[in-house]
This record gives sequence, structure tokens and C-alpha cells, in this order.
Amino acid sequence: MTTKDFDDRALPPGRIDAPAPSPDLLKAIQEMKPVRTRTRFGALAAVALVGLIWPALVLTLHAYRPDLGALPLGWVVAAAALWGAAFVLSLTAALVPRRGDVLPAPGRASRIGGAALAGLFAFALAASVQVPGVSLRPEDAHMTLLRSCVHCASFVLEIAVPFLVVGLYALRRLVPMGRARIGLALGAAGGAMGGFVLHFICPFAGTAHVVLGHVGGTILAAVAGAALLPALLRRRS
Amino acid sequence: MTAALHSLRADRRSLLEQPVARRVPVVARAATVYLLVPWSVAVDSEATEAAEIMGRYCRGEAAAFQRLYALLAPRLLAYLFGLLRDKAAAEDILQVTFLKVHEARSTYVLGANPIPWMYTIAHRTFLDEIRKRKRNRVQLTKDGTLLAEPAADLTGVPVEAGQDEAARPDPAAAAGALAALHQLPENQREALLLTKVHGRSTAEAAMIAGTTQGAIKQRAHRAYVTLRGLLGKPEVADAARPQPEKEPS
Repeated sequence: MTTKDFDDRALPPGRIDAPAPSPDLLKAIQEMKPVRTRTRFGALAAVALVGLIWPALVLTLHAYRPDLGALPLGWVVAAAALWGAAFVLSLTAALVPRRGDVLPAPGRASRIGGAALAGLFAFALAASVQVPGVSLRPEDAHMTLLRSCVHCASFVLEIAVPFLVVGLYALRRLVPMGRARIGLALGAAGGAMGGFVLHFICPFAGTAHVVLGHVGGTILAAVAGAALLPALLRRRS
Repeated sequence: MTAALHSLRADRRSLLEQPVARRVPVVARAATVYLLVPWSVAVDSEATEAAEIMGRYCRGEAAAFQRLYALLAPRLLAYLFGLLRDKAAAEDILQVTFLKVHEARSTYVLGANPIPWMYTIAHRTFLDEIRKRKRNRVQLTKDGTLLAEPAADLTGVPVEAGQDEAARPDPAAAAGALAALHQLPENQREALLLTKVHGRSTAEAAMIAGTTQGAIKQRAHRAYVTLRGLLGKPEVADAARPQPEKEPS
């Protein structure tokens, strides 16, 4: 028995006579009215607009990191671009269906969200830059490394919450399958925005702090999204 | 839309022979069509038809619903029957699926292919049914007897459904293969049904099952390997082997 033998038996797909629509269904059809359909980018626009209010306020009102002027401009721009790209790509993958599709693809969302997290982790590990004497260390602020990391990770989660909440609302009837994967990408997007904001305001520039506090917070946001979205959407469905 | 794309393909052939000034409007038109037309819809006439019907359905045309039901209900029923092996339950889930589609029609993206979307909703409804079944361990009919599972061929077609005899697979072979199919783990079975029996692409199957394309390919491959093993077993292979035709006396 070979694969081809099985193909010969399995194909072509069979025809089957479906029963007539049920009375409930027919009643619903008789009473139906025209509906306004969704657009591909509607959910993305809504989530981005609402979610970006809080990070924009923080960036406007909060003091910038003391070493910002002393850091190489190219590195500052590259790191900001990386955090920004991780945000945009993850959010798009979580909310925008592929051309010709109705639903966002869970596999693509988790792949892009995972790749964004891996890229941020690698960049933070290999290319964190600090200016000796200007960049602060946790002990300069009378904090332990762990406490500084917890502080920044919780800030990342705070920034990610609006994205998760609004994203959950936008996805409430849209993700029948693969909710955890979509939630991972949504959480990664919110976390990446938190990391983007911290890139400009966090005074601690050490590799350990950035990896554990900023990227670690982003990973926590992604995990929170992956855990919360299925649970909350299941309650609604 | 499809005509526009065919015209573009014809234009492309002669494009290189044209002067640069004449290439510009052709390229501009190609770019416009590409940006405005969902590609997978334009190249797949079945998807185009389904998208067009779904658009009319969303605009409130009851006749479009009947057309959509006629187009997709048999396939969804076959898919659900392949997963469940319970005709009554598959028919119930089909009705629930269409009710859910009706309620969720405002989430449809105009012009998109509704077929994978409807498979996804059917799949979700199937999973909910499985959960419910695990809670209710035994299913009884109204008079208190156990539900009998109807016989079906490999493609999920109930034996009693009227079908062209020539098109029907050999019953013994199909029974063996079906028995083997139902020994597969659920995720392998659904990957095989979606990609090999219902002809969904791996991308569509991944979306329907809520996983990655790689996982779908891997599950389908594992299902093949397992099936080969199962069909190689004497008791299953005997059932699956085509019966020799009797010599006319």
C-alpha cells in the first residue's frame, strides 16, 4: 500500500446531500437586514489609535533618559526602528487578514510575533550600548538589578494592556481558531511598544537590564496575550 | 476582475516589445489591479463566485443565502461527517455553523474568499460539540436507545446517500481505509481530511485548524505514515484490498 494507493481511494471528494436549512435558520434569513461588513485594516487602525494614546502621553510628559544625547545617533535610531518594526509587524500579523482572507492567520501571527521577540532578544543581547559615566546603573538609583527589571517589565505590561484590551474587543467574533497564537502576537505588539517607549525614557542601559527588563517584559506581555485571549474569547463565544 | 487579470497576462507577454512610454500605463494598471483585487479571489473562480454570493448575502439578499447554502453545505457536511462519523450530529453542527455564519456576517471582508472562513467556523463548532460530548458520555435517542452510527465511505458520504455507483469507491476498500483513518489522532485526521479529501491549501488548512502551515504539513505526513502502517496490517489490509471481480459464468 503506497501513498498513491491511498490518494486513489481518498480522491475525489465525495458529494453529500445536505439537509434543508433548519426553521431557525430560515427564520433568521427572512428577518435579515443588510449589514456593514468589515475592512481588512479596520481593526488594526482602531487598536493602534486607541493603544497609542497612552505611550504617546508617556513620551510627551516623561523625562527622557539622561544619556540620550551622548549615545550614537545611528544606534538610537536603529534600536527605535527595531522596537517600532516589532510593534507594527506583530500588530499587523495579529489583526490584518491576508489578502483574500476573512480572518487573520494564527500561524503567520505566531511566527511573526515569535520572530519579533527573537530579534529583539538578539539585538538587546548583542548590541546594547551604554555611555560610561552618563548611563545609569541600577545601583546608582539605589535599586538592585532585579528590582529595576521588575519595574521596567511592569511598565511594559502597563503599556501592553490597552493593546490587549482593545485588541480583544476587536477580535471578539473574529478568531474561532488559533486564539493563543493571535494573542501571542497581540501581546508581543503591546510589549514592543512598551520597549519602544522605554528605549527613550529608561535611564538604565546595561545589557542585563535591557534583556531582562525590557525584552523580558515584552515576552511576558506576549505570554499574557497568549494565555488571556483564548480564555476571555471562550467566555464570550 | 478575472477578465482584467487575463488581460494583464496577455499584456505582459507583449510588454517587452513595446517602447517604454507604452509600458507605463500597462504597469500602472497592473499595479492598480494588484492593489485593489484580492489575488486569491481573482485567480480562483470558485472563490470568486463564493465571494460574490457572500457579498450579496451581506447586502440582505435571501436568495444569495440559498445559493451559498447549496454551494457549501454539502462540503461542510462531508467535512464534519468525516470528523464525527455521526450523520445526525454532523447535520446539527452544519445548521449551527450556518447560524453562526449568519450572525457573524458583519465580520466578513467584502471580496475575500468565504470558504476557508466557513470551514473554520464549522471546525470551531465541531470542537465545541466534541467538548459537549465528552461531558455527556452517552448519547441516547428520544426513546432511550443508543444512537447508531451510520455507515460511511472514506470521503464521509453516508452509504444511504444516493450516489452514482461508478463514482463510489470500492466499499470494502473504503471501509478498511475509513477504519484506518479513524484510528488516527484527531489533529492528523483533520489535516488529512482538509488537504487531501477537501482540497484545501496548506495555508487554508492552517487557518481552519488554527495552526501553522508547517504543522499541517507535518500532521498530514505523519497521518500518511501511520496510515501506511495501519493499511499494511493484515486485518486492515484485507478490508482495504479491492475484491477480485468474479468471472462471468
